Order: sequence, then structure tokens, then C-alpha cells
Amino acid sequence: MVKVTYVAADGTETIVDADEGSTVMQTALDNSVDGIVGECGGAMMCATCHCYVDDAWSDKTGPRQDGEDDMLECAADAVKPSSRLSCQIKLTDALDGLVVHLPQDQV
Amino acid sequence: MPLAPVNTDVGMNQLTRDPYPIYRRMRRDTPVVRVEGVKRTFLTKAAHTKRVKDTPELFSSNDPNTPMQPAFRAHTLMRKDGDEHRRERMAMQMAYTPKVIKANWAQIYRDITDEYLSRLKKGDTVDLFREICGPVSARILVHILGLDGATDEQMMRWSQELIDGAGNFGWDPELFRITERANDEMDAHFGSLIDHHKANPNASALSLMVNAENPIPDSQIYANMKIAIGGGINEPRDAMATIIYGLLTSPEQLEEVRRQEAWGMAFEEGVRWVAPIQASSRLVLEDTEIGGFDIPKGDTVMTIQASANRDEDLFEDGENFVVFRDKNPHQAFGSGPHHCAGAHIARRTVGEIMIPALFDRFPNMRLPDPDAVRWRGFGFRGPVNLPVSLN
Ligand code: HEM
Repeated sequence: MVKVTYVAADGTETIVDADEGSTVMQTALDNSVDGIVGECGGAMMCATCHCYVDDAWSDKTGPRQDGEDDMLECAADAVKPSSRLSCQIKLTDALDGLVVHLPQDQV
Repeated sequence: MPLAPVNTDVGMNQLTRDPYPIYRRMRRDTPVVRVEGVKRTFLTKAAHTKRVKDTPELFSSNDPNTPMQPAFRAHTLMRKDGDEHRRERMAMQMAYTPKVIKANWAQIYRDITDEYLSRLKKGDTVDLFREICGPVSARILVHILGLDGATDEQMMRWSQELIDGAGNFGWDPELFRITERANDEMDAHFGSLIDHHKANPNASALSLMVNAENPIPDSQIYANMKIAIGGGINEPRDAMATIIYGLLTSPEQLEEVRRQEAWGMAFEEGVRWVAPIQASSRLVLEDTEIGGFDIPKGDTVMTIQASANRDEDLFEDGENFVVFRDKNPHQAFGSGPHHCAGAHIARRTVGEIMIPALFDRFPNMRLPDPDAVRWRGFGFRGPVNLPVSLN
């Protein structure tokens, strides 16, 4: 199990136990975390799973995947250096405790 | 494992007239079923349709032998997989982003909507489907695509003729003659605009594609434009008509939507309730299994998102238009690599601009006879008329 904290735009925190190997997007969907839509199921085609990785974790989540930059351009909310598509963040042991912040809008 | 059961009762006619009771029975009794009359295996449960679309390695879009190829004069991105698909898709995707809409288009869309609405008068009874839903969708798309000079009539006709051609599974030569003519007209129109877009780069899809540093071949630029014409008019038109119908037949919900300005939720519920694109096909690349049945390599499965959107596993009271749902995980825009390229546009134009503007201008609009509204379609579905009294 990997612990992930989702911080909504209004500050509400949701903490869930995620399966290793799942993604930050899929975990949100499986646990009914509001604020992540993930409409294309992780194909990097909809930009509705946008999140901001907490500064303390950006080294561990690593760089954006190939093609992710382009698709982030399609996100509804402001894109920052910490922006990621949460479908592209795979959960490993090293990410136990991960904190991500959610944008106001996904669509 | 056994093969999927075979249904020999259901045919295109019933599915075109009223598919929903059929899908409800299928979800209950035969969620995976070979439909003889359509020569396809129907998948009616949300988990199955989603899995198929999310697993392109096994369920391919790449099927060059459909009527789409002659209808579009190209093997289009909708029928490709993998890197080739992504490259063609991303060549136009940037024209469809929320940022581009906000920065370049939102005011133009508002003005277009107002202009068409201002032609209508309070007290009149008009067919909104014909007067508003179609033409406004077409006019907006001219701007998004950079097709300056194309008329509403041309855009709507091209769109319909492409769709009819792509659905010409009977290979009727007369239908292909019609798409040939439409293709000649479109190719000529695109060709006449290329210099203009090269000289005046802008945020439209055609401009982005012709001015790209590393452009895709002209044949594929043209094909992409046609996919966007085929997919970018009828769907917003049908979504809009469906949502207006839903709201006008449920005045309490309309009142609440107005009070909360929940137009976005009304949009989501409209496309869930009657998905403008109801079904999509995928080619099975390897022997596999779905829902306890063997699905052989070479089979074509139909993912019926219309049915997935009413699946009892996900939706309570799914047969009805219920705007205020806790969650609305519909698949009206598909899923996986072919997830609708225009989803952000549709949400913003129809949901945030067209529908609120209409109800704003005619706050006491009524649908005097809901039974007069006729619904049609198997692959694509929506009302085909919407006679409304404006007030
Ligand atoms: C409410 C309106 C709309 C709905 C419900 C809708 C629905 C869909 C669906 C279900 C697909 C996937 C088909 C498949 O999986 O085989 C799709 C694909 C597509 N749509 Fe839309 N659409 C809408 C509006 C638009 C608009 C306005 C555009 C204009 C730019 C557009 C452009 C496209 C394109 C280019 C594709 C092909 C994507 C690909 O194959 O990668 N759509 N749409």
C-alpha cells in the first residue's frame, strides 16, 4: 500500500491507501476522490486528470513523460512547473506519502 | 469458454427507432451478444465498453476496409492506432484547448449565438433543431477549423454526407457519388485557404497544421479536417437539442439549473442520457474473452456507449434525465486514445455558451408537445426536430 494525499482546490484533504502499480489518476477514481475526472482512462488524450505535485515530492515523481507536455497544454486550469497528468504518475513504494494538489477545473 | 449468445431478433430498424429498451434487456440478460442483423458483437455494460476502448493493443481502431476510407478519401486518424494516430491527432489538438477557446474564441462564439438567436422572435413557434442547433454549431466550427468562407449550408451538408458515406456498409455507389462531390468541394475549399493561413497564422486547426514546424502530409491534414467536420457539427447539434428537450420537459430541474447556474451539469447529463455518438466499433486482434465469453480474433465488437451510460452498475435511474447526480461517469466522449478531440470545445460551446444564452433570451420558452419530437439513430442519435414556443 502507498499512501496518497489529494488536496482539493478548496484545501480539503483526502488521504487514501493506493495499490502499488496503480496511478494517481486511477487511485482517485477508485476512491471517488472529487477533482480528478480521468475521462480517457489514462491514454493521455483528455487532460482531465491534471494535478500539481507538491514541491516536496517533485524529485520523486520524476519528469513528465513523452507527450505529456503537449497534452498538458489542453488542461482547463493554469499549467505550472509542478503540473502533471496524474495518469502518468505510477505509484511505487518510493512515493508512499505523496501529496498532490488538484486544480479548480478539469473540464 | 462459450461463444457469446446470438440474437436474431434485433435489427437496424428497431435500433434506429428506439434502442434503449433493447439495451436495457441486453444489459440484464445478454450483456455480450452477437447481433446477427448487424453482424457485430454488442457490448452493453460500462466496464466492458471502457475496457475495450482502453486496450487498443487488443481492440484496434485500425480497419482500413470500412466505408470510411472511400468516404473520406483517406485512411483517417479515427481508424489508426499507436504513434501514427497520436502524431496526426496532436497536429490539430492544440486548436481545441480550453486556453485557445478562452483567449481567441469565446467572445466570437457568444456573438455568433446571439446573432442567430436575435433572428427569432418571442411569441413564435420555431424548430430550434433546424434554426439554431445545427447552424450555430456549423458557424462556430468554421472558426475553430479556419474554414473562412464556408457557408452553414455547406458545412452541414458536408458533415452529413461524410457521415452517410462512412456508414455506407452496403457500399451503395450512389452514396459514394455524393461523398465524392462533397470531397471535391471540401478539397477545393481547403486548398484555397492554405496560402491565407500561411500568410496569417492563427489559432484555427487548419492554420496550426499547415504552419507546423514538422507538418503531417497534406493528405492527412485534409483527412483531419474532414474528421472534424464530420464529428464537430452533428454531435454538438444533437447534444444541444437533447439538453433543451430534457430541461423543457422537466421544469423543476430547469428552475434549479438556472438557480445554481448548473449548465455544465445539464450538459453532462444530456450527453449521458442520449449519447450523440451511441456506438463505436473495434477490431479484435487476438482471441480473447469478455464477460465470460470467447471473443475470436477477427470479430468486430461494438462498444455501445449509449448503453454504458445507463448501466445500472453505475447509474441510478439511468433511463431518465436527472441533472443533479453525485457522479456522472458517462462515456459519451469515448475513452482511450480516441477519446473525443473536441470534448473541451463541446463542453464550452454547448454547455457554457449556447444553452445558457438560449434560456437567457427566452426564459419562458416551452415545448408545447413533447410527443411531437421525433428521435432517431443507431450510430448517432438525437431529436430530429424540436418545435418550441419562444417566450
Ligand atoms: C457533444 C459533442 C460531441 C460528442 C458527444 C462527441 C463524441 C465523440 C466520441 C464518442 C468520439 C470517439 C469515437 C471512437 O471512439 O471511435 C469522438 C471522436 C472525435 N471527435 Fe467528438 N464529439 C463531440 C464533439 C466534437 C467536436 C465539436 C469536435 C470538433 C473539433 C469533435 C472532434 C472529434 C475528433 C477529431 C474525434 C476523433 C478522435 C480520434 O480518433 O483520435 N468532436 N467524439
